Amino acid sequence: MPWENKMNDAFSSYHPLVNFSYFAFVFAFSMIFMHPVCLGISLICAFIYSISLKGRRAAKFNFVFLLPMMLITAVINPAFNHEGVTILTYLHTGNPLTLESIAYGIAASAMLAAVVCWFSCYNEVMTSDKFVYLFGRIIPAMSLVLSMSLRFVPKFKARIKEVSQAQRCIGRDVSNGGVIERARHGITILSVMITWSLENAIETADSMKSRGYGLSGRTAFSIYRMDGRDKKALCAIFILGIFVLGGGISGGLKWRYFPTMKGRTGGILSAGIWLAYMGLCLVPVIVDRAEEHQWKVTQSKI
Amino acid sequence: MKITKNKIIAFAVILAVLAASFWYGGGAPGLQGWNVSQTPKGAAADSAADKNPEPVLPDNAGDKGHEDNPKEPADDKAPVNEEPDDKDDEIDSENNEADNEKKEDENQDEEEEKPADGIESRPRGTEGGLSASEKIELAKEMAGGASSPGMEKGSKDYSLEQGMVIDAATGKDKYLTDPVPEGKPVPVEPQNIEISDVEYTCTISVRCDTILDNIDWLDKEKVELVPEDGVIFPAAEVTFYEGESVFNVLQREMKKARIHMEFSSVPMYNSVYIEGINNLYEFDCGELSGWMYKVNSWFPNYGCSRYLLKDGDVVEWVYTCDLGVDVGGFYAVGE
Repeated sequence: MPWENKMNDAFSSYHPLVNFSYFAFVFAFSMIFMHPVCLGISLICAFIYSISLKGRRAAKFNFVFLLPMMLITAVINPAFNHEGVTILTYLHTGNPLTLESIAYGIAASAMLAAVVCWFSCYNEVMTSDKFVYLFGRIIPAMSLVLSMSLRFVPKFKARIKEVSQAQRCIGRDVSNGGVIERARHGITILSVMITWSLENAIETADSMKSRGYGLSGRTAFSIYRMDGRDKKALCAIFILGIFVLGGGISGGLKWRYFPTMKGRTGGILSAGIWLAYMGLCLVPVIVDRAEEHQWKVTQSKI
Repeated sequence: MKITKNKIIAFAVILAVLAASFWYGGGAPGLQGWNVSQTPKGAAADSAADKNPEPVLPDNAGDKGHEDNPKEPADDKAPVNEEPDDKDDEIDSENNEADNEKKEDENQDEEEEKPADGIESRPRGTEGGLSASEKIELAKEMAGGASSPGMEKGSKDYSLEQGMVIDAATGKDKYLTDPVPEGKPVPVEPQNIEISDVEYTCTISVRCDTILDNIDWLDKEKVELVPEDGVIFPAAEVTFYEGESVFNVLQREMKKARIHMEFSSVPMYNSVYIEGINNLYEFDCGELSGWMYKVNSWFPNYGCSRYLLKDGDVVEWVYTCDLGVDVGGFYAVGE
């Protein structure tokens, strides 16, 4: 529910359509555009937004997990890809190590890291109630399955804790007994978990059915309203998104890695697209800052 | 579950997408846009839609069919020289030279519209498209159903005599190599050969002039890589050591000349495969393209790291755009 959202993220309290269209554009652009500047913008903005959204937790994830993953992927590419005209040296297999393959490896890894980071933001903002609100009408079964399966892992984790604590009370946890005993206890816990989850899934499905979920002519209660600010944000997202898309289609973001690296490195059109792309990626951060500023101004007036 | 209009529409859309991807991915019957004929491009595109485009052979099939090609390059060579400039121009057309080179751009477009003889509108790329047997069929059609001249069938008795171990069941050796023709050297296994320090010389050259005839098939990003005369490494007398293979010499010379070369080892054939030289890779100029080698004008039927060089051998690396037909190295299977 909107008022339950963390106070430090105003964007989450916007209409789900705004949230979803923002992420749809950002995901699509991060995956389509291989231009180094675009990848850089996407990666940096993803880092900024995830940190402003989740604070230290995100910073830790980004620097402990994402950066090393990026490094590994970047190193793997030149080991298998030897295309490119700039030969730096020869690998011990006899194939050349080229500058282009290294650059491509870095680009691919930046794209991977950016998309992973954007998804972590998406999960934070697009809660399952928002998703079901958006897609409950068009694809009812699909959206229910999706929201149930997305919810499955955290739910499973919470329940396994519950079960294992209950088992520990009667001395049958995985921490009790010898190796074989432990394994047997573990299997018991797993079996309990599976039974519980299956039963719960059926119960959820039945309960949704008995409420008439997905029937035609049935309305659903929702708390979301399209306000003036939502419309403004939606307009901004679409204008920026379509501008970037149009610029990309018209060749303003042309870049090739093989056989030589070549592409647009400047010019008004490209600079404009980069600026628009950066603006699009930073929409939530800008919204947050503006809201925060307003809050402070209002407070000081009192 | 009630069947509603929406569900039927959704089903139809999904079906259409699947059918389209099936067709596009090359699962469809027929040649999907491949058409061996001398028709202009537009007509070839039309016949792409044809479910069963029987490849139409040029009347003068076989070797003659391919002598038709050299007519074309005379005009085709001109745009090749311009190509590298045009590429630069295309990308940063905001440069002030743009006006100057726009005319050339137009020229190039005109050139590309021109119909070329031989195969029309072949799809590019490794994925989808044709299977290996379809490719061989197609090359056979182009060659007129026969091997290139000088490509004789292997002689089993001769190969056995030379020490090749041939499996009676398959008629091939354990690395799937057919017997070699009479008078030709049998393959050796590089791991069994000792390289001594006795110096010999051989001649080696690397050429890609067949691309010049088919420049419109070539990956647009790679046009600038093709030298004007198609010679990547002019014939040169080089030193090698007793026991070295064609591959050893190629690798050393390319390294020396700072020419890019990528290969991969194929354990099944106990040999290396040359994927690309000078950044011109297999499949870059149509699906039947790639690097081939000949020694003393014979295209060996085994990999280059299994060919033991002798003093005075003449090694030529050539790029083919149609499975060896254009360079005279096509070997019709089952002949």
